[in-house]
Amino acid sequence: MKPVQFSVTSKLVGDAAVIYPKGYLNNLSGEGLVNECGIYIGRGITKIVVNFSETDLINSIGISLLLQIMEDLRNIRGTICCTNMSKFLRDTFEMLGLIQHMIVFSVESDAIKYLKAGTT
Amino acid sequence: MSTELKRVLYNISALADLGQEITSESAFHEKMQAAFYVITGTFLANKGAILFYDKAAKRLETLTKKGFTPADLEQLAPEELMPLGKNKPCLIGDTPFLAVVGAEVLVPLWVRDQFIGALLLSGKLTAGPYTLEDLELLSIIATQIAIALNHHSLFMDLSDKLEENQRLYEEMRRIYHGTIQAFAAAIDAKDAYTQNHSHRVAKYSSAIARELGWNDHDIEGIYVAGYLHDVGKLAISNDLLNKVAPFTPEELAEIRKHSTLSHNIAMKINFPWKNVEDMVWHHHERLDGNGYPDALVRDTLSDGVRIITLADSFDAMTSKRPYREKMDVQTALTELKKCLDSQFDNKIMLVLCKVLDKEIKGELPEPEILPNLDKNSDLSIISSLLEGIIAELSTKQSAA
Repeated sequence: MKPVQFSVTSKLVGDAAVIYPKGYLNNLSGEGLVNECGIYIGRGITKIVVNFSETDLINSIGISLLLQIMEDLRNIRGTICCTNMSKFLRDTFEMLGLIQHMIVFSVESDAIKYLKAGTT
Repeated sequence: MSTELKRVLYNISALADLGQEITSESAFHEKMQAAFYVITGTFLANKGAILFYDKAAKRLETLTKKGFTPADLEQLAPEELMPLGKNKPCLIGDTPFLAVVGAEVLVPLWVRDQFIGALLLSGKLTAGPYTLEDLELLSIIATQIAIALNHHSLFMDLSDKLEENQRLYEEMRRIYHGTIQAFAAAIDAKDAYTQNHSHRVAKYSSAIARELGWNDHDIEGIYVAGYLHDVGKLAISNDLLNKVAPFTPEELAEIRKHSTLSHNIAMKINFPWKNVEDMVWHHHERLDGNGYPDALVRDTLSDGVRIITLADSFDAMTSKRPYREKMDVQTALTELKKCLDSQFDNKIMLVLCKVLDKEIKGELPEPEILPNLDKNSDLSIISSLLEGIIAELSTKQSAA
């Protein structure tokens, strides 16, 4: 089976950016994820939701890119929420200790609600 | 599955990722960037760098980095890193000067006896120290990175040598062509009426060969043959070459020696192109066997000879001679056409007409024949004549 070419889409929901990575996060094309988040951070957005519903797998390169986003947000005292994660993704994040540095939700709407509540 | 086992599997998977990235067909800097992501993703390092040792400049060049400033990395002196061991990670505790740079762990990269660069890491998202297992894994990674850097270094050395060789070759080629052109100038200087004749024959011949689909090397060969085809005239007296009255049979025989003399001169040169001597020797042969010096017939005449013969005659006709005025292009083409089959080759004539027609219509970016023809020529008349000849010869060729 041909792997899905990695791509990223996004939208703004209130004052949070929701990022949708699609495909295997395993090579330099994953830099698109960092760039996409960087655009929002550059515009002053400090809340980012990464919806992993279309990304089941990640390798060390993907972890490094995700780490970059977490560091960028940490530098501006921002928040990263990860949602819709596969078991593999969740297990990997847990094993590496990444999970303690992000807020995890089952679904995107819960993350949005959480971030909205934090605003008000 | 225990966390420990998951971690081991993750590390093995990271090594596989590294191998895949290093052996990929990506550009070197992309490979290094991907390898760097593998490393920072494996150790969750928030600072890191891969440095390449520039042997010529004796300094470390930053290939990729994160967290370190250029000023941090400039403090690293290659001679201080070299004694630290080969592909073995050094911790800050063992090498205090790393603290100045802000690195927690550094690996000097070596391949055999060649110092090739360094790998630096610092900080972990989990805030824990670099463990013994981490250092063992880092040592394996460092060895692979060192090999990739060494391959790049070897490739760069080869590229530099190739570039230097190409530069020398181009220089020699320019000198070679300059010498040949000087020869041609000497030939043309002997005869006031044939100034630049060799240059034009070279241009016309190469234009025809290009239209025939010859490769660049062979086109260069016929260009040189065009320049040298009359080099034997250097041995013919100036009085004879510039004689206005008709030649006596003896004088004609003397003049005709020039193609054999051209061959004798050319054969002493070890040309990198094939058949230059042959093209020079037989540029006065005819298809019907009435040419000189060897009265060769049709099948024994190569395309190269046929091209030079036609280009030589076309230029002779469209240039002034001591015994006649120059012909206009239409008359010259009509005369050449009359001599097809007996003297000139149909196929080569067809190609000459096509090239000239394209040049008139502006279809060739660098015209080689038209700029040398009479500026007062009526191009619409020539074009119409060319179209007629092209149609006629194309029909003949299809029928054959």
